[in-house]
Parts: sequence; C-alpha cells; structure tokens
Amino acid sequence: MSQLPISALIIWGSATALTLFLLVQIFLLRAHEKYRLFTAYLCTNLLQTAVGVYLYRAYGFKTPYAYQVAWTTQVIVVMGRGFAAAEICYRILGKFKGVWGLAVRIFIACGVIALISTLYFGARSYQLAVITLDMSLEAFIATCIVGLLLFARYYAVPIEPAAGMIGLGLGLLSCGKLLNDLLFERHVQSYQGAWNFVSSGAFVGILLLWNWVLRKPATHAVQEPQLNRVEIYQSLIPQVNLKLLELNRQLSHLLQPEPPKP
Amino acid sequence: MNPVFFFVAVAAGLVLAGLLFWALRGSSQRKGYGAGSAAVEHAPRDLNHMPQIRQAMDASDLEFAKAKAGLQLQTRLRRERRQVALLYLAAIRRDFEQSLRVARVIAVLSPEVSSSQEYERIRLAMIFRWRFQMTKARLLMGTIPLPQLLSVWQMAATMAVQMEETMAKLGERAALAAELALQSEK
Repeated sequence: MSQLPISALIIWGSATALTLFLLVQIFLLRAHEKYRLFTAYLCTNLLQTAVGVYLYRAYGFKTPYAYQVAWTTQVIVVMGRGFAAAEICYRILGKFKGVWGLAVRIFIACGVIALISTLYFGARSYQLAVITLDMSLEAFIATCIVGLLLFARYYAVPIEPAAGMIGLGLGLLSCGKLLNDLLFERHVQSYQGAWNFVSSGAFVGILLLWNWVLRKPATHAVQEPQLNRVEIYQSLIPQVNLKLLELNRQLSHLLQPEPPKP
Repeated sequence: MNPVFFFVAVAAGLVLAGLLFWALRGSSQRKGYGAGSAAVEHAPRDLNHMPQIRQAMDASDLEFAKAKAGLQLQTRLRRERRQVALLYLAAIRRDFEQSLRVARVIAVLSPEVSSSQEYERIRLAMIFRWRFQMTKARLLMGTIPLPQLLSVWQMAATMAVQMEETMAKLGERAALAAELALQSEK
C-alpha cells in the first residue's frame, strides 16, 4: 500500500466511504427495490476495493498477478455499470412499450458501432488491450445513456429526478473514463500516475451527486401512461407523415421562382 | 493509437458529455402522458378569416394604393405587409410544431411504433425547418408572393386542427374505456 501516493489513498478511501454511505441510504430508503442493478453495481465496486486492498497487501502494487486480477475485476465493474445503465434506461422509457422497443434497437446498433470502432481503431498493443476493451465498454455505455436521454427529450417523456441523476452520473462517469483512458493510451509513461487519480476523483464527484440526490425518498412520481391501441398509431401516423410531406412540398413550391408574367 | 482516432474519440467524449446535460435539462418539468389530449394546448387561430386576409394581401391592392396615394404609401404598405407575412410564417412553424407534437404523443402512447415512420417524420421535420429558414430569408428580401404564403399557412393550420380533433377524440375514448373498466369492476 505504501507504493501508492498519499493523495491517491485519500481519494480511494473517500470513494469507499461515500459508496458505503450511499448503500446505507439506499437500503434505508428501500430504493434498492427500485434500483436493483444499480445497487448491485455499487456492491461490486465495494468488493473490487476489498479485492484491491488484499492484492496490494499480499502481492504489492506492481506485480503481474495483481495487475491481471485488478483488471479482471475492473471488467466486472464496468459490466455491472452497463447493467445499471440498462436498468435506468428501462425505468425511464420502459413504460412506453413502442418507443422503448424502437430505442433498444437504435441504442444497441449505436453502442455496437461505438464498441467496434473503439476496439478496431484504439488497439495498439496487447499490453494495452485491457484499456482498449475498457474504453470500448465505456463508449458503449455513454452512447446508450445519451441516446436514451435524447429519446426521452424528443418524445417529451418525464423523468424522475433520481433516475435522471443516476443516469447522468453513469453517463458522465463513462465519458470521463473514456477520456481518461484515451489520454492514458496516448501518453502511457507520463500519464500513468495521474490516470488512477483522475479516475477515482471523477468517481468521488459522481458519488457525491448520487448521495445528494438519494438523500431523501422520491416525492415526484411520474404518472403512469395509458397506452392506446396499436391500430391508432398504424392508421394515424402514415396520414400525418403524408400531410407533413405535402406541407413540405407546398413550402418548396413557395421557394421556386415565379414564372414570368405574359 | 491513430492520432486522428484519438482526436475524434476525445471530441466524441466531450460531445457526449455535453449532450448528457442538454438532454436532461428540464426533464422533471415535463408533463406526464396520463391523459393524451391534455398534452395538446394550442389551437390554430384565424382560419375563419381566410378570405379577408387573402384579399388584404392581394398584389392589386398595392397598385391601387400607389395610384391613389403615391409611392410613399405603397412602400409603407409593403413594409407592413412584410411584417404581417413574417407573423404568418411564424404561425406556419407553430402549427407545424404543434402537429409534430401531437404525432409524438400518438407515438409514445402506442404499444408498437414503426421505425421507418418515425425516421420519416424526423426527416420531414428537418427538411421543413431548413425550408422554413429559406422562406424567411426570401421573405425578408421581398421575393415571395404573400397569397401563396397564406395558402401554406392555411394548410398547416388545417392540419393542426385535424390533429387536435383526433387527439380530443382519443382522449374521450380513453376516458370512456376507463369509466367502463371501473363499472365492470363494481
């Protein structure tokens, strides 16, 4: 443990304390029933810290074994965050079955494009493969969350403040980690010390946000929607689109120069 | 790592972070979809006065003003008409946006949506916004005949009225269904 700088240890300790505090709040307010996967993600984070402490005590900070195990736990944590993000997406948009179905198709397509392009263009060496995989997963999560919030904005879907802030936190964490990993990959030697510090610092910031949002039970309940029959959509929307098309045509005619008068 | 990819990825990360904040802005203030028709508030106005508006915008009126009161009055009239035309252009946009809003309500309250129809509407809305800006520019240059602009507005307003009527019917039907469900439970 003595190999780590004191500032990194302080941030690490703060993150652990804040995670514990958040988990206690979640269980006291029974929010774990609502955000099961998010709670599981926080627990995974705590477990990762415990494993990290054991590894560094038993094997030291720079041994290959500690490195491999630490990165394996990191992949599990990122996947846990991915599941938590999926849960938040479902909580926000899942009530609207039709739009949710469409959103899932689009998010998965966009997320897979982000994942593949990061894996393809980002790979430089096998040593940095784990960082590249981490970046790909972060890009996938960030794209999905941003896509969800854009969808919610376009369809004017109301969002519970807690779900919105958890989503914002997960998305910001993924964006921050993506940028951090990119800098690490480009400036491996000079950035190595700062990488851990920035990563943990961002996590502490997000934990403070989540602690603040989940400090009291949710009072702002989102109204349950009453869905129509599918035939209504099938009969109305093509007509609407046709009318919009016609309106566009009229506007286009308006823009055309008038023929000269005889 | 490819330097181009590095800069593209950094830009993408920053854009994603910015979009997160933008997309979440005002999210808790959005109204729910409990009653479909409540999401539609504004009805298009002045459709009944179309013949009078059309007549007031007739080009022969300007010629008449010039012949009777001179060039100064004609110039003033033309300027005032342009202001009125800009107001009507804004009304076209408002009615178009209103129709889009109703269409989104229908989509969000449907248990199934078609990706092609949704994509088509987004595409049409983008084209409309582009043409709207072009029309506005042409209008400011004075190269768009006002009666034609009125025809477009009439179309947009009629469409918005029809959409709102449909939504009102849907709302009534939903209320009736809820009432029937309550009665059957008793």
